[in-house]
Amino acid sequence: MTIQKTMIYALTSVALATPIFAEYPERAIELTIPAGAGGGTDTSARKLAILLEEALGTSIAVLNVGGGGGSVGASQFMQAKPDGYSLFATWNSPLTTVPQVQNVAYSLDSFTPIASTSETAYTLCIKTDFPATDGAGFLAELEANPGKYTYGNDGIGGTMQLAAERIFQAKGIDAVPIPFGGAGETLQNFLGGHVDIYGGSISTVLPYVESGEAACPIVTSAADVAALPNASGLDALGMGDKETLLWRAILGPKDMDPAIVAKLADVIESSVNDPSYVEFLATKGEVPNIVKGDDLGARLQAEFDGLAEVSKSLGLSN
Amino acid sequence: MEFYTQALSKVLTVWPIVAMIGATLLGVFIGALPGLNPVMAIALLLPLTYSMDPLVALAMVSGIYNGSMYGGAIPAILLRIPGTPASIATTFDGFPMADKGEAAKALKIACWSSAVGGIASAIALMTVGPLLARVTLFFGPAEYFWIAIFGMASVGVMVGSDPAKGVMAAVLGLLIGTIGIDNLSGQARYTFDQTWLLGGLDLIVVLVGLYALPPVLQLAEKCDLKGLSAAQLKLTNVPFKPGERRKLIPTWLRSSGIGISVGILPGAGGNIAAFLSYNAAKNASDDPESFGKGNPQGVAAAECGNNADNAASMIPALSLGIPGNVVAALVLSALTIHGLQPGPQLFHQNPVLVGGFMMEMLITSLLIFLLGGAVATRVFAQFQRLPGVLLVPSILILMCVGVYVINGRPVDLWVMLLAGIAGYFLEKLNVPLAPIILGMILGPMAEQSVRRALLISRGDATELLTRPLSAALAIATLLIITWPIVKAMRNKRAGAEI
Repeated sequence: MTIQKTMIYALTSVALATPIFAEYPERAIELTIPAGAGGGTDTSARKLAILLEEALGTSIAVLNVGGGGGSVGASQFMQAKPDGYSLFATWNSPLTTVPQVQNVAYSLDSFTPIASTSETAYTLCIKTDFPATDGAGFLAELEANPGKYTYGNDGIGGTMQLAAERIFQAKGIDAVPIPFGGAGETLQNFLGGHVDIYGGSISTVLPYVESGEAACPIVTSAADVAALPNASGLDALGMGDKETLLWRAILGPKDMDPAIVAKLADVIESSVNDPSYVEFLATKGEVPNIVKGDDLGARLQAEFDGLAEVSKSLGLSN
Repeated sequence: MEFYTQALSKVLTVWPIVAMIGATLLGVFIGALPGLNPVMAIALLLPLTYSMDPLVALAMVSGIYNGSMYGGAIPAILLRIPGTPASIATTFDGFPMADKGEAAKALKIACWSSAVGGIASAIALMTVGPLLARVTLFFGPAEYFWIAIFGMASVGVMVGSDPAKGVMAAVLGLLIGTIGIDNLSGQARYTFDQTWLLGGLDLIVVLVGLYALPPVLQLAEKCDLKGLSAAQLKLTNVPFKPGERRKLIPTWLRSSGIGISVGILPGAGGNIAAFLSYNAAKNASDDPESFGKGNPQGVAAAECGNNADNAASMIPALSLGIPGNVVAALVLSALTIHGLQPGPQLFHQNPVLVGGFMMEMLITSLLIFLLGGAVATRVFAQFQRLPGVLLVPSILILMCVGVYVINGRPVDLWVMLLAGIAGYFLEKLNVPLAPIILGMILGPMAEQSVRRALLISRGDATELLTRPLSAALAIATLLIITWPIVKAMRNKRAGAEI
């Protein structure tokens, strides 16, 4: 046996004897975000990454891979090694909504669910000259005038549109969806009077609700939302089962080591509950929401099935 | 106005000043290297500053943003390689000037024009910005459609001697622009089941290939082993001749106005501002034929236009909470992380911080005079002295690194290579390349806007013309198309009378 071979055997046996995750993480982690820099998911993930770096004692490199409503980043990430050094910070849409309308290479099985982090509802808002003010009146006005009102949303077949259509279908409402590139663009067209109804995230429109220029009669969560005291949650309108939320989670590629998953889930939980992060979430109208491991997998599957039903009936699914 | 003095005293402390100077230099560097671009640099660096004083972070953003818009002009002039998409129009006259041995003059004009545009834009941001922001809300999908068509009409000025080839190039750009997921129907177009095509082809990747590779191949063909000596470079400071600066003032005023107007509209951008400014300068000139052959006015118009877009693009972000481009979105996200809420109340929440950022946009524009002229230009121009055998591989490596870091995927390198080879042969066939990029930028904007407008009007196309603003924009488009024809006919008649 040559010296080199001896060395190799010696090193391999040492490596095999040590549990691989004993010192995880021992190098930098790459965090893929399936959206461009500067958006809601990006900001939340980067802020969380700062806390995770501290808790894990390693650096986290953020990689933004935008496009395709998140499917480009997700497709690219699914090929990463499941060694715990490649993580994926996403919102729910690329996993549960986008596959309904696009032919994507991934499925829910392509990922290991680690933990969800925060959630928020979508909202529908109107100008103050709208002939209704409360949630029930708003829906009644839409119902009485089929095809009259336009509502802006984040993109065709996006979670926001499906969230609205679930409510509209239940009430037999026909409103015209106008897809925009994002909540900022929707807001611009809503404020300019080019669309009648704003549909999108709460944080974007919130300053205009506070200034009295916009009013939001409805949110897409079952419960009411503290930031919008005048908006009705779906429970209050008797449609609690039509809830659709925007929520964020961290996942890994499939077949990750369960011990690493458990460790990461715990670290994510404590970082999300850090007072500075909770306060940061509050300014964006979000609240912490931790669902870990297999429970997260079940949540994803349930949402996927629910949205599959709506998009089929809308004729959006492929 | 009291908060401005307060803001100024905060900005003029050690760290913001260091950040502004360092970032402006870094920006010039980033702009000068094909492939690296300010958006990417700010996206990479801004998160590192989350724990710092926000004014230091914002100083860095303004330095990189303003510096890079000027930096893009350096390779555009010296090598005919636009450093950023916004400096394509700079190559039209900048490179011919360098070819005539006026590289130093062209760089100086670019530096001055960038600084002037940036200063005008920052002043607009500080004064009329918040008032104008509300006006931008009148621009709906129908108006955006006409803006895109207006931009495309300016292709006319770029088609060169053979209009048919120019139009073909523009159509090629429009076709490339349709690749990827269609935002309005959710359908994938021309993706051939390739996931990496779902997001469409990246503008920067195509740009680097199309624009940087052909000049590099031409350099390689020359097989230059010696390079230029320091004396041949002629980079000694060329002072402006008396009256020379005065001649540039009308161009500066016009281009600043165009840059600010384009910048303030969310979604338009520096690329379009530079093209429109260049087009306007050519239309206003007594001697439009000299454009494209080394007319200093062309360099001034393009560089002033693209810098005037910068500060103005922050107007809708800071006063309405609507980010008009990625840099503005990054600034808003940084402010959110520092606990501010973007929207109409932003200024009242923290006037010192917002006012301070505006000051920094102004100061970094002033710094371009200093750093761009004296330091950066001399250093970067030394690249030109490298013999071709060194310059060619160096640029190729920089291009590959720059393109790879955009999305971190190897397939972009192949796209760049293919675009480059296509660009090389298109140039040999005298097909202009600028319309391709313009088509890629404006095609999706025109298509999505017109379809949105029709969705809103329930399919009634007359609404594209009957809204007061859309009608005005449609007439402006018609004028810009007919103006060169009218002018040519008038010149012909005048010539016949003599």
